[in-house]
Parts: sequence; C-alpha cells; structure tokens
Amino acid sequence: MHDRLIQKLEILSDAAKYDASCASGSAGKRQAGKTEKVGIGSLTGGSGICHSFTPDGRCVSLLKILMTNYCIYDCHYCINRVSSNVQRARFTVKETVELTLNFYKRNYIEGLFLSSGIVGSPDITMESMVRIAKSLRIDHGFKGYIHLKTIPNASPELQAEAGLYADRLSINVEMPTQSSLNKYAPEKDLSDIHRSMNTLKEKIAEHKVDKTFSGKRPPRFAPGGQSTQMIIGADGSNDKTILGTSVKLYSEQKLRRVYYSAFSPIPDASEVLPLKPAPLVREHRLYQADWLLRFYGFGLDEILEDDMLDMDYDPKLSWALRNRHMFPIDLNKADKQMLLRVPGLGARTVQKILSIRRNTKLNWIDLTKMRLPLKKLKPFITVGDYFPDIHLLDSNNFELQFKQPKQFELFGA
Amino acid sequence: MKTITITTVPGFDEWREASRRCIAERIRPEHLIWQNSHSVQNELFSSDAEPCRSKIPRKMPQSKLSIPKSTLMLLKYALCHNDENRFALCYRVLWRVVYENKQLIQIKTDDDVIQLFAMAKAVKRDAYKMSAFLRFREISLEGQEHFVAWYEPEHFSLEIKLNFFQTRFKNMRWSILTPYRAAHWDTETLVLEDNPDSSVVPDHDRIENYWLTYYANIFNPARIKTSAMLNQMPKKYWKNMPETTLIDDMIKQSDTRTRKMISDCKTN
Repeated sequence: MHDRLIQKLEILSDAAKYDASCASGSAGKRQAGKTEKVGIGSLTGGSGICHSFTPDGRCVSLLKILMTNYCIYDCHYCINRVSSNVQRARFTVKETVELTLNFYKRNYIEGLFLSSGIVGSPDITMESMVRIAKSLRIDHGFKGYIHLKTIPNASPELQAEAGLYADRLSINVEMPTQSSLNKYAPEKDLSDIHRSMNTLKEKIAEHKVDKTFSGKRPPRFAPGGQSTQMIIGADGSNDKTILGTSVKLYSEQKLRRVYYSAFSPIPDASEVLPLKPAPLVREHRLYQADWLLRFYGFGLDEILEDDMLDMDYDPKLSWALRNRHMFPIDLNKADKQMLLRVPGLGARTVQKILSIRRNTKLNWIDLTKMRLPLKKLKPFITVGDYFPDIHLLDSNNFELQFKQPKQFELFGA
Repeated sequence: MKTITITTVPGFDEWREASRRCIAERIRPEHLIWQNSHSVQNELFSSDAEPCRSKIPRKMPQSKLSIPKSTLMLLKYALCHNDENRFALCYRVLWRVVYENKQLIQIKTDDDVIQLFAMAKAVKRDAYKMSAFLRFREISLEGQEHFVAWYEPEHFSLEIKLNFFQTRFKNMRWSILTPYRAAHWDTETLVLEDNPDSSVVPDHDRIENYWLTYYANIFNPARIKTSAMLNQMPKKYWKNMPETTLIDDMIKQSDTRTRKMISDCKTN
C-alpha cells in the first residue's frame, strides 16, 4: 500500500460519513469452524462492538467507505452528485478487500459497510460491490460483518447474490415522499426503491425457514435484514410524514431500522438546499419516537398531537403530559404495557420491576436503589409507601419542571 | 474463624473449590475471612493461613451445591473485579442462595444482590471495552505475521475475553499483554504468562496511518458532540488508542471547516 491509497481513503471515507448507520449487530452469531485453517472473524450476536468514537459522538464500528464517489446521478443533497466539484476516486476490489482485512486484524473494526456512487450503470456498480463481498467471504473466509448499500435499479439477480454474502442490505429512501424526491433526487423513484425492498424482503423470508422439505438448511441471506435512511430537514416534510413513512417501511417492508440523518451542510452544496443545518434535537426526537413505535406499544396518533414532535419534551413525556388523567400508575399493580408508558421507565427497567414484583413489593427505597430518574418519575407513580401529592399533576406550569438544558445521547447506533 | 487465602488472580477456580467445601461444611459467611496474596509472585511465600487447595473430593453432594448457570456466570464476572472483598461477597451470596432463598438473585433490591450486579456490570463493561479498544500491531516473528497488543484493563478482564479473541482471531498468531498477565496464541494453543515484559510491544504498525486517515475523515465536523464521545470513550482509554492523538485538532478545526462549507455554498 502506498500514498495514493491514503488519498483514496481520505476521499472515499469522507464521502461516506453522511450515512448514519454504523450498526454491526443483529445478524446472529458466526465464527470459523474448529478445523478451518483459513478465515478470520466472528459475529458475537447482540449489537456489535463500537471500536472507537469520533468527536461527533458516533460509534466507529465498520469500515464505512464508498467504492467510488464517481456518480452519474444528480441528487442535490449528495456531495457526490455528478454536478459537484469534489475530488473523485475509486477503490479496486483488491484494495477494498485488503483494507478491510488489515483493519479487522488489528481489531479496528467489526467489518465493512460498502456503499457507492453509480459508475457506468447500476448493474456494473452492483456487480463490483458483490465481487468485494464475495472475495471477502469466499477467498478469505471472512466471518465479520458486511453491510452493502444496494443500488436500487440493479438487477434482481445481483441483489439476490448480494444477500448471500452480506449481513445487511440497505437502500436509502432519502426523502419520505415522491414529490420531495422529484425536487431533490430527480433520478430516484420511490416505487423502484420499494420494488427493490420488496424483492429483498421476500428473499429474506424465503431463507429464514429453518429447513426445507429436503432437510437442508437454506443459505444465509442478509440475516441482519434491511435498513434505510431519511434525510431530515432538507425538504419541507414534517415529522408526521416522516414517521408515517417509517411505520409503513417497518410494517410493509419489514425493515430492521430506519435511520434519520439531520441534514448538515456539505461542501460544494447545491443551491436548492437550505444553508442551515437541521437541528440535531429534531433528529433525536425522531429516534425517540421511532423507539416508542417499535418497542413501547405506542401508536403514531398517540405520539403526534399535530404535525411536528414537541422539541422541549421527549415524546413519551409529552404524551404523559397530555394524558395526565391516566396517572399516577401503581408500579406494584400496573401491567407491562402501562409500565412502558411511564416517563422515566425504559424497557429494561420495566422488565426488572416485573421480576422484582414476583417476589416482593416495591417501596420508595427500592426505586432509589435501582437508580431510577426519581425527579421525572415522582409525579407519575405510586409504590407501597409513596403516593404523589394529588394536586401535583394538575398544578399550573407542571410541565416546566421537565424543561432542561439539552443533552443528547447517541441514538444513531 | 477460618481464613482462606486465594493465591491466584482473578482466583475464580480457587474460590469455587474453597466455597464448595465451606458450603458443604456449613461454615457461615461471618465465620470466614477471605484473603488474597497481592501479586502473582506472592504465591511463593506461603503464609500461616490454611491453604484452600487441600485434597477434597471434587464431587460434593449435588443437591445442595447446584446453582443455576446464570448465577454462576454472575459470580464469575464479579470475581474478576479488582475489589478485594469480592470473595467474601460472592461467598455470602452463594450461602444465601443455597441456605436461605433460591430466588435471591431475582431480588434486585437486596443490598448483596445490588453489589454483586454492580461488580459484575463493571467487569462486563471493562471487558467489553477491552474487546473494543484493544489495538494489535503487526510484527514479524520467526518469519511470520504476529500481532501484539498492550492493554490495561481495570479489572481482570483478560480472562473474560480470552474466548472472544481466540474465536475471532483463530487463524492469527497474537499476543495480548496486560500488566498482570499475557496470553499468547499460535492458532492452536494458548499460553498464559504472568507479569509479562511490556518492552516487547512494538511502537508502530504499517497500517496504523490508514486507520488514522480513516478516523479523521469519517468524522462529521458539523455535528460536534464531545460529551457523547467521552461518555462512551473516557480519556482513561485513550493512551493505547492511536487515533485519539487526532481528537484535539479535529475538535479545534471543526468550526472553521463547517463555516467554510457554508460560505462556499453561498458563493456558488
């Protein structure tokens, strides 16, 4: 390897940083067999390892690069669009494979996240990407994580082959509506994207069966499922439209994850774009809402009072503030679904409460021992020896106590 | 009063053997003093305390000593903690599980259980960080690729992660050195070495520069969230992670870089 490669790496990792996903988990476990003399890597199950963190708070888990940033498309939000003046570069198949293996051997990464601009045609591009994944798996026995960003218009055969080597496949919808796509990504077609997702969904389902009639286990096909990304705040779409699109993607296309990426200014940006970055708090609230929809049993109409999420309070607290008549909740009696709706109780805490309840009754001291956010919880709950002041929930300006200087956790993982 | 001296670190096997016997003999936790000799070499100087590795039959009456595997795992993690009280705490919990309440571990509000979970959690986190932040450097040993890492875990996490490294890097030759113990793997056999010599750890690697390049470029200067980074990667881990030397400059330059992007847009 020499300096030319350093330069390529600069260009092609810089170009990849706008993809929010860094997940390297949920593809099950995998490791080299006891007698295998070649091959490297493992999947540990669970949610993958973050090998480093950058000052933007993001986890570095995968070698996230573009195969090339040459592109025939002209999507306005994209730094690599054909009309942009960025420097261009292209990795060869061999370079990408070696870089991945060399990084992996030093314990820098969990695997590869490969995306690409469109060179020549969608099929030509996709074919090279598949070759990289195939070489890692077949030539080098690579057992680490591979995420391929599939090219929407590539042939179904190539997409099917990609799934044999990749743990996760993704296609970015980028914008929640066709009209936004028309404006910002004129070559992209929402129904094409959905058609590709649908093909993959069916393939994934086909391969999930434990055994076929002949008693053989089908080969693994993208065991980590599909994900996608939407850019927030570049077009005028409101949160209702965005989350509505997510709900559809989760239910109809069985996506594992939808990532939200607050639009941030890119070098050499197109003039159709806003100059200002979208507020990160909006992205954060969307992730919180997304979590409530998937893991906490909330419906879309419960989370959203109007078209936009409340920026001052997290969506669960915001729901509780609008539904004070349902509180306080008795932590010793309420069912799981209701416990999940209490502000300050996460899914894990709820599980803990349920397991403690089987053996003993919860008192206030127990809540302190569990290190729960008591200030937040206090007005919404009762336990054995504690009952909140009945006027508290109805008091004037009750909600103001929850307003606080903002601190964000990392939800993009 | 009976004193038991654990002579190895982390001491799980010794503790288990001694505990089996003490539980069978119904020695109450408050009648036991657990000691451990401070360093690995101390093993040579025998103390007056009764050694715990006497010839007791390995097979004890199963009915009393069978505890759920999940509890055993919990104890195993807690016993890799650097807290000297770990042996006493774990014995007390074991005693209570065997003689007082089989469901004890479920009571997450019990003080012993809280402490046990807290210790196990600290070890789990420490071990996770080891699998995440450890960096190998390549050397040539007897004409073959060999990867060497120096890592300073807070607890005895090497023991927890050995299996992970052996599985993931099965066909690689590697050595992981920690202040108290090293593990060497030659693709087939694992050799442990106490108090290794850290001077054999190389100070550079041919690929490291590519990693630094990647790290600097995958970062988005328009979204600085230093606290989120520090939360997950506190400074105590930095010294063995080559990429962290770049962080100060990345933060310093981020504002200028972002403003430049925006002003470039305006002039287009």
